[in-house]
Amino acid sequence: MPSWGMVIDLDRCVGCQACTIACKEENNVPHGSPDEQKRHREIYWNRVIAISRGEYPTGKAVFIPIPCQHCEDAPCVTVCPAKATYKRTDGITVQDFRRCIGCRYCIVACPYGVRNFNFKSQRWEEYHRPEIAPDRVSMGMWPFPQRTRGVVEKCIFCFHRIDKAIKEGKVVGVDVVPACVEQCPTKARVFGDIDDPNSEVSRLLAVRGSFRLREEYSTHPKVYYLEQG
Amino acid sequence: MRKPFRISRRSFLKVSGATGIILLTANMIKPATKLFQIPEKKLPEQTEGMISEKWVNSSCLNCPARCATRVRIVNGKAVRITGNPLSMVSEGEICPRGHIGLQVLYDEERITTPLKRTNKVKGSNADPGWVGITWDEALTEISTRLKANRENQGPERMVVFNGLNSRSNEDLIKRYATAYGTPNVISGDSLENEAVKVGRWLADGNYGHIAYDIGKANYVLSFGGSIVESERPLARNLRLWGKIRRERSTRAKVVVIDPRYSVTAAKADQWLAINPGTDAILALAIANVIIENKLYDKEFVEQHTTGFESLRVDASKYAPETAAEITGVPADRIRSIAREFAETRPAIAWVGRGVAGWPHGTMTSYTIFCLNALVGSIDIPGGIMYQNDPVYRELPKVVEDDIARSGLSKERIDRRKQVIRNQEISTNTAIENMLTDKPYPIQMAIGCNSNFNMTAPGAAKWEEALKRIPYYIHIGPFISEMALFADVVLPTTTFLEEWGYDHSPAGSGFAEVKIKQPVVGIKTDTRNIADIIFEITNRAGGTIAESFTGIGDNSEGFTKYRTGDLISWQEFSDNGVWVRPQYEYRKYHAIFNNNTKKFEFDSSFMVDSADPMNAGIQRKSRHEAPVFQGKESEFPLIMTTYQPVLTMENGSQNYPWAQEIFLAMHGVGWTSLAEINAETAHQLHVNDGDEVWVESQFGRLKMKARVTAWLHPKIVAIARGQGHFAPGKWQKGIGINPNAITGLSYDQLSGQSALYNTRVKVYRA
Repeated sequence: MPSWGMVIDLDRCVGCQACTIACKEENNVPHGSPDEQKRHREIYWNRVIAISRGEYPTGKAVFIPIPCQHCEDAPCVTVCPAKATYKRTDGITVQDFRRCIGCRYCIVACPYGVRNFNFKSQRWEEYHRPEIAPDRVSMGMWPFPQRTRGVVEKCIFCFHRIDKAIKEGKVVGVDVVPACVEQCPTKARVFGDIDDPNSEVSRLLAVRGSFRLREEYSTHPKVYYLEQG
Repeated sequence: MRKPFRISRRSFLKVSGATGIILLTANMIKPATKLFQIPEKKLPEQTEGMISEKWVNSSCLNCPARCATRVRIVNGKAVRITGNPLSMVSEGEICPRGHIGLQVLYDEERITTPLKRTNKVKGSNADPGWVGITWDEALTEISTRLKANRENQGPERMVVFNGLNSRSNEDLIKRYATAYGTPNVISGDSLENEAVKVGRWLADGNYGHIAYDIGKANYVLSFGGSIVESERPLARNLRLWGKIRRERSTRAKVVVIDPRYSVTAAKADQWLAINPGTDAILALAIANVIIENKLYDKEFVEQHTTGFESLRVDASKYAPETAAEITGVPADRIRSIAREFAETRPAIAWVGRGVAGWPHGTMTSYTIFCLNALVGSIDIPGGIMYQNDPVYRELPKVVEDDIARSGLSKERIDRRKQVIRNQEISTNTAIENMLTDKPYPIQMAIGCNSNFNMTAPGAAKWEEALKRIPYYIHIGPFISEMALFADVVLPTTTFLEEWGYDHSPAGSGFAEVKIKQPVVGIKTDTRNIADIIFEITNRAGGTIAESFTGIGDNSEGFTKYRTGDLISWQEFSDNGVWVRPQYEYRKYHAIFNNNTKKFEFDSSFMVDSADPMNAGIQRKSRHEAPVFQGKESEFPLIMTTYQPVLTMENGSQNYPWAQEIFLAMHGVGWTSLAEINAETAHQLHVNDGDEVWVESQFGRLKMKARVTAWLHPKIVAIARGQGHFAPGKWQKGIGINPNAITGLSYDQLSGQSALYNTRVKVYRA
């Protein structure tokens, strides 16, 4: 069984946010509003944050794209009382809206702040894509094309794409990648099987210095970052 | 519109718990794809409400780069936009703005019927009192007005404002203006690019946009260029950025010179916070170091340039120590940059829109551009390229009658070419002249997707000028700020619903044409600009109609007509692009378009005694201290504005995807910020997040302060793109428009409006 992971090259990333928008486009994630931003109620499955490392003038601002880190030891999975969030055998952490009771324990537990609580029923008109993308047909009950109010949602590594690709005999990581990886104009993101030594992600991790976010928490994220410069 | 699927979570769980299987059928969602199937059950493909999927090639028009796109259509709805992999300009990528095309297409604020104004009072706060009219009524009224103006007042008294339109629509708009007989086609080019273009023309005699071969460059010295934020073509820049930093054996070094810590500066190897408006001095100091140390490309300088001695003398006045005092860049830094720039070839000195925005932009642009010739980076791989534009099938000559000939012979309203005979446009002088009825009063105007009262500095003057136009027709897909002043608004399709052809601005060197084709059905009762023009010309009759016969008769036909020589229609539609990727370097016999046929360090267009009728323009010094509007004692800071990546250029900002992550650098959206240096803020007793007033002599604006160490202490930086007052749930009343308090002044040579010419003061609100 492969173990899907993502490598994000901070040297290439210029914070253009194409990934953030591509994710919303692909997964029908609702957009926010000024009020929701003030109340921190926006939903992003992928965000790009800018942090400054070091002081002026020797330091630097760094853009860090943050999808769900798909931790091997995911705190969100541990704490979920309803077993609504769980690990697939390929390492993807998914969220079952049907089981989720909206307690938000997982949001508190997640060290990366990638989980979002859906406070709203989406207005139909805001939905620019009332039709369900065809990939979803084979996906059965996941993901819900219509958002459910009162549950937690998060990045799913576009597993609907992965599953479809495997079914069609395509190579994941080469022919098919998550939407954010596909739409990155600088090609800062690479997706693939971390356990496969021949995959592009493994090759990059072998030749470049990398780190993971908050490694001290021993969550063993599957998202690796390549150092800038 | 379909009813939303509503089911409460509680009842939903109940149902699912009871049955374990949920079958949603056509009653709940139609066309129903089965949403909640149990995973084991194989889903038959022929479920009711079947899915149809297709990809349609088109191109983007959210900025003038016009990248080729592919749009995924599911059940007749556009759901996804990606780059076209066959495009060599953007190499299959699009920038984030491209994706927002979906929200442009499905914008709720789009208008669906021609509108007529009932309130005679015009103004930004006046309710126009729109009433819907039919297309026939609208076109009849417009045609009558156009005809009356043409015959009674003179065709030159009609102005055409040309905003962001596809090349095909632009061609038709200009053709219509010529056939009608007005020389007054006013575009927005001189709001940002004109000084860069003229600066380059002084050196090589080519009047056009600049293409940088950054993909092959080893050193990029960017003067005020936001390469990965707003310099065009952005998608190509982004793609090549990844390439030059990580996909080659040698990593290109990038140095950014900018008083503002732009995204490009953050991603560069070095950022130099230069004193505002002193870029030319730094360029001269760099030239000085290069020449003194004999690091320049001797072969190129000897064979293909003139005036080297003049540059040497001018540059010798600026030793690094002298320049350091003026520019604020340390002398040893100047030395090391100059050395690296000359020794790490091919090297590019990028003339960004940022430096052309200061007063005296043309000479700054010229001086910086000369650095490229000094290191031989002219028309070589990794240097400056001379853009090949596609050659479309030629249009027959416009048929002109006496009225048209008389109109076309009149002086243009922007009174261009006063200084430079090639000058294409001086956008803002047009309205200044309109306010004083010079050289003649304007009776009517047509605006095609234009929104200059938002995008041009001196917004208040634009408002006054627009109020004065007796009859204004606005053509566009939504009510923009300019449309608020219209007497009639014609609703058009968006760029995803129309036929057309397009090519990118300079950037790639080689030529590429992209198709525009309707990816979905046209929104009710809207029409293509091309079709509107064909209809208007048809109704006008006479020579105007004659000029528009035999060129395709409608938008689709016109696109076929123009591109027919390049590519077969089927292939064009299937591929979406026509590319000629070969670019021939070192065309030294052909690229210099001036008297000496060489690169001129001392431009032969400049003479000691000016004679505007006779080519020469008054010699200017390579640097002059910039003149700002407002006294330094009263307004101690200089306002600069910039364009973040998600500032849309189509005249609207009503797009939530763009708004919510508008200022990525600061982690906020839906707003404008006044970025202030930390020390300056401390003196002003302003803290991060405080509400502040930014006041110039032209007005004041309230916004939140963003205090940061990463900014020159003398400037206040504000993003452009917010502050819309036209209808739009996601734009009206959000943020502020810095152009509203910017003064009007011009670069002396190019006539470009100086964007950063205004002094301001900042105080707590």
